[in-house]
Amino acid sequence: MPKWFYPVAGLCALLFAASPFVIASAPYVQDMGIAQKIFYYHMPSAWMFLIAAIVCGTASVRFLVTGIVHQDRVAWAAAEMTCLFGALALVTGPLWARKAWGVWWQWDMRLTASLMGWMVSCAYLLLRRYGGSGSEKLAAGLSLFGMANVPFIYVSVNYWRTIHPATSVVPTLPFSLGGPLWFCVTAFVLLLVLLMSLRIRLEEQRARLDSLYLSMDE
Amino acid sequence: MTRLTALFATMLFGMMMLGFGLATPLLAQTPQPGGSLQQEGFTPIEQLPPQEQLPAAPLLIAAYVFVVVMLFVYLFSVARRLATVQKELTRLEGDIKASKKG
Repeated sequence: MPKWFYPVAGLCALLFAASPFVIASAPYVQDMGIAQKIFYYHMPSAWMFLIAAIVCGTASVRFLVTGIVHQDRVAWAAAEMTCLFGALALVTGPLWARKAWGVWWQWDMRLTASLMGWMVSCAYLLLRRYGGSGSEKLAAGLSLFGMANVPFIYVSVNYWRTIHPATSVVPTLPFSLGGPLWFCVTAFVLLLVLLMSLRIRLEEQRARLDSLYLSMDE
Repeated sequence: MTRLTALFATMLFGMMMLGFGLATPLLAQTPQPGGSLQQEGFTPIEQLPPQEQLPAAPLLIAAYVFVVVMLFVYLFSVARRLATVQKELTRLEGDIKASKKG
């Protein structure tokens, strides 16, 4: 593993260990009660979901244009992150919504587009797993749809009718609420980087194993 | 460079922790937003009849447990896959070395 991995992993672990205390110290939002505390893990998960989808799409474009195999590994790793963090956002969101809105789910633009983005990442992974040879280029093409979906997910709350808060809420949060949020975002960003590097390392080792088998056959 | 980065990261983390540690008592004393922000036509949860109220704690616990369990399961899955490949690599490299000697 690279030398930066273990210090960053330690830092990430400390941030996650401290996060419950930081979240508990944040004040309650009026009329939301304790359920609002889900926000501090829900929103970073959703952001990592969108970032991973962009990374997956960008790496796929670079792989399709340049043919660099490393970009394909990055895209595959990012697709797994999209699936993981998407699942976290899509499960924690309804748990909060049930208390805040009175419904588990609403077929508004943001939720539907998020679900579609998550399903695209699942399709990418299934294609890579069962698609056989040549599936990497098909999957790369598929990931472009996942990336194109990201801006719609983000701005949808400003243009379509929804009970989801608009994008202007986070920048205007007071420090007492914004501080814990950015603390958790930092922890999730580090986690995303660490998991991505682990997953890329796995693909590199698999490629090394394949090349060894090939050299033995020759 | 890597050591400097690690040192910087540790210092940054320490400063953040110190800041939050010092801020915690202040945050705990921060009054909750006042009633002036309350919007018309919205019924606060506390004013709902008991049969319409849903306890929030189980939802909160479920959300955090789900996140932690999913992250650990994924981390364990990647670590297990990595260990399997690493083991196979070590075995194969040993076989290649042995065949070259033989």
